[in-house]
Amino acid sequence: MRKAIFIRMALIVATMAMACCSRKPSSVPTTFTELADSAAIFPDYSDVTIPPNIAPLNVKVSDASATEYVVEMGDLIAGAAKDGKTDIDTTAWRQLLGQNRGKDIAVRVYAHRPGGWVRFVPFTIHVAAEDIDGYLSYRLIEPGYELYRQLGLYQRNLTNFNEAVIYENNRDFSDDDNHCVNCHNFQNYDTEHMLFHVRAAHGGTVVVDGNEAHKIAIKHDSILAAGVYPSWHPTLPLVAFSTNNTGQVFHMYHKEKIEVLDVASDLLLYDVENNSVRHILRSDKYLETFPCWAPDGRRLFYCRAVRPVDDLPENMPMQMAIHYDSLLYDIYSIPFDPDTRSFGEPRLEVDASSQGRSTSVPRVSPDGRYLLYTLGNYGQFHIWHNSADLWAKKIGDEGTEECFPLAAANSDKAESYHSWSSNGRWIAFVSRRLDAAYSRVFIAYFDRDGRAHKPFLLPQRDPDHNTLLLKSYNVPELTKSAVRISVERLNHVVYHTEAERASYTE
Amino acid sequence: MIQKPFINSHYRSLAYALLFAMAWLWASWWMGDLFRIAYENSFLTADSTLMHFLWQQSFGSLWIAGRALLLLYRWPILGGLAVACLLTAATWLVGYCLRLRPGWRWLGLLPVGAWMLWTAWTGLNLYYMSEPGRTLGVLVLGVLVCAVDAFVIWTFKSRHRQHPQQEAAPPQPATIACTLCALALCFGLPMLTTKLRHPYARPLARMQVQMLSEDWEGMSCTARDNATLSYRPLAAYYAIALIHTGRLADDMFDIRLDFDSLHVVNYSGFPDIGSGYYTIDCNYAAGLFRATEHKAIERMTMEGPSLFSLKHLTRLALLDYNWDLARKYLTILKLHPFESAFVERYSAMLGSRESVDADPEFALLRQTEPVQDNFESFFEPPVFLGYNCALIARRTPTALTHSLMANLYSKRMPAFLERCQPLVGSTPPRSIAEGLVTQANKNPVILQAFPQLQMTAQVYRNFLQTMGPRLKERPKYARELFDSNRGYYPYYYFFGNLKATRQSGAKEHASSNVGVN
Repeated sequence: MRKAIFIRMALIVATMAMACCSRKPSSVPTTFTELADSAAIFPDYSDVTIPPNIAPLNVKVSDASATEYVVEMGDLIAGAAKDGKTDIDTTAWRQLLGQNRGKDIAVRVYAHRPGGWVRFVPFTIHVAAEDIDGYLSYRLIEPGYELYRQLGLYQRNLTNFNEAVIYENNRDFSDDDNHCVNCHNFQNYDTEHMLFHVRAAHGGTVVVDGNEAHKIAIKHDSILAAGVYPSWHPTLPLVAFSTNNTGQVFHMYHKEKIEVLDVASDLLLYDVENNSVRHILRSDKYLETFPCWAPDGRRLFYCRAVRPVDDLPENMPMQMAIHYDSLLYDIYSIPFDPDTRSFGEPRLEVDASSQGRSTSVPRVSPDGRYLLYTLGNYGQFHIWHNSADLWAKKIGDEGTEECFPLAAANSDKAESYHSWSSNGRWIAFVSRRLDAAYSRVFIAYFDRDGRAHKPFLLPQRDPDHNTLLLKSYNVPELTKSAVRISVERLNHVVYHTEAERASYTE
Repeated sequence: MIQKPFINSHYRSLAYALLFAMAWLWASWWMGDLFRIAYENSFLTADSTLMHFLWQQSFGSLWIAGRALLLLYRWPILGGLAVACLLTAATWLVGYCLRLRPGWRWLGLLPVGAWMLWTAWTGLNLYYMSEPGRTLGVLVLGVLVCAVDAFVIWTFKSRHRQHPQQEAAPPQPATIACTLCALALCFGLPMLTTKLRHPYARPLARMQVQMLSEDWEGMSCTARDNATLSYRPLAAYYAIALIHTGRLADDMFDIRLDFDSLHVVNYSGFPDIGSGYYTIDCNYAAGLFRATEHKAIERMTMEGPSLFSLKHLTRLALLDYNWDLARKYLTILKLHPFESAFVERYSAMLGSRESVDADPEFALLRQTEPVQDNFESFFEPPVFLGYNCALIARRTPTALTHSLMANLYSKRMPAFLERCQPLVGSTPPRSIAEGLVTQANKNPVILQAFPQLQMTAQVYRNFLQTMGPRLKERPKYARELFDSNRGYYPYYYFFGNLKATRQSGAKEHASSNVGVN
């Protein structure tokens, strides 16, 4: 309590000191010179489409000689001192978006230079009519390579700047406690049922049911490794997992830095209620990975590649590495009967390999009309491939199927790991477009015609946050509600309970 | 009134002045370079996002206090001054808090001596695979606790203060002797510990400080002045200096290369051979930029941001012409109070390939950048050695020299000979020539290809004759023969880097934090 009072007092003093030191204009200048240049603002929010319930889009304006700035967004005026950073009032922002739902907002940026005020070329922000799901979960971790230390799963309230911890691993190095967490997944955009994996110490898969959780272990002689990439069935207590024997290798002179390769991979079906697991697909010839249920739960999509070396012994990532750029994944689907819980025959959905390309992370839109996936030059771990772009396939009527890139959402850097909002109008994905190294979350509007609009960077209270953060965002998953289970409960489950071993059924 | 002798009246002040002076010397001259490198392995800024890694740890605020003090080691004389003040204050405060009588005030030196001894005992673990703000943080905490305690005593127990006459009493000879002994012990033991347990630590830190100012000749001199010390990091930084002075093929074997134990531990507390200490710098000096980035990011993952990692990553981003990434790291470095020179130098290169290419250091390193892709795991670790040993395609003659030297160092003579082909007809540098003649007996065609090496071959034959029976007991004679054969490759070939002479006994302990991320 005393600590909280002290912190608040310190904050008040600091705020007062800052208020005295930095002067922010509060009105639009009456006289100014019009410039033909666009303002240098970060993040680039020009002509983006945003949901009407998104947090304020604070920006940082850069100008070599300006001492103060004004950003005029419709009726909203946001001033910035010499650092160029706005801190938009949330209430005023709400009001602005509320008034402009489904409309455009004109943005005018003014800078106070030694010779007087100037105004840059105005730009527009489009406000969509549809909201985005209120919460975004992700993992924060340093970008790649082999080692991990402090990492965690977090949930951001998209309507403001609150970021809550779902789970964080041990903060201090300890051989007894060091563990990694990954692959969080939710059932049907809801947080009632979720799971994530714990690797190394305290290992297992944490399965959450409302405010309770337990830890399971998916191990069996016939299973390659534990469950890896998960997909909750939209309605049934079932989870499709891939099980992957994965390795990674590091380029020494290449435009890419890392290759993550599966030496072998199969698909599993885990029954949550009975704590049992069985194979969906198991083959030495093919590598199957990234399962994803269709929204009606009657079809399972996944990626499949032909192993380039037939007689490859297991655990030989070096052998596989030689063939890294000939690993090409297509998207297949397999029908599922919820009553008998049996699978049918696989069907090719996206044939990328015949064009010398490779797919990853299939995700079907909530209305079942579009299959969103990542397409790159080879492999499946596309976050390390600059060639990786978002593509979609229209999966409506037979014969009208077509695959097309989401051109407005893509960049010349890697785009990967995308998720839909529950209304199908928004996609969140990670991209390395800012600096080719640290992945950041971008959100794009996906209209009824299947067109993605120019995406915007996940807004932060401090626009410099994305520059100063030395971690990457992984696996952004949109959900309608906040995770209910407490951090303490998850800590207890991870640290103090043994994983229950799932029984294997043929 | 009788005039008291000066020493009697000022005994306590003199004792504290002596303590202060010795502490300053120890903290700035003796330990200055080590703390300077600890500063490079540290990072401190007011931004909470960047300090999150540290704040989240137990005692995080203490480590931050330590790092704040470490900031002053940007200039070791200043850092040393601050540490000396704290040590002197700690001594006085301990005496005051324990209410020691004037004759026993020297006991206040003991905790200070213990802290110094601990600092010396940790050696490179002052910052290597350890929190760089830890030792100074503990010192700050100790002084703070004593200060608070003293304040409480002063506030509530002021009536029981010692009598002024007792305070002013002239010191007994025994007291003076005890004080001087305590001072001698307090400073002697830590210095002896550094000298005996970590004899390489100060020269190594000196070389790294010289590297920061790009004093490559100075680095070479420091290594040669300590040539009889035989530790991997010393050899590694010596090789880096030689790369920059273009003397790798001439002077590499001027220092002992037998590799004694460093007495350092890894994150888990297990003995460590210290390869992590120099791998990033060596990969970088070898032109293996991707491998450098790999290790630099991993260092940052395990230890949070540090000047060392951020500076490397900035340079690597510039070498990659990735302006956005370089700008990101420079923005972060700009938040550090004392790194404006680095930021200014490299900010000037942003957006200009010409500026990057014109930088002399970058131009030198580019000469040994790989020409074709491979995976790190295809080569024996450490990759700067393994890659160069296996080098096939090269960009420049310098890359060939590195490859030849890597093979000579690894005593892989068939691979060395294979790569000597392009040198036929020229006069090879000293070590390469000496390496060639070691194989001439088995392969007479060598002297036909390099007829100018007849004299070198004769010297080699004389060497073999002189060594005679000692060749059968190499480990026994290795150290003894070093001084008379310093820099001579055949000596290294027969007597250097022998497994039997290695005393490390420590293998790198596999990290428990490995995974696909």
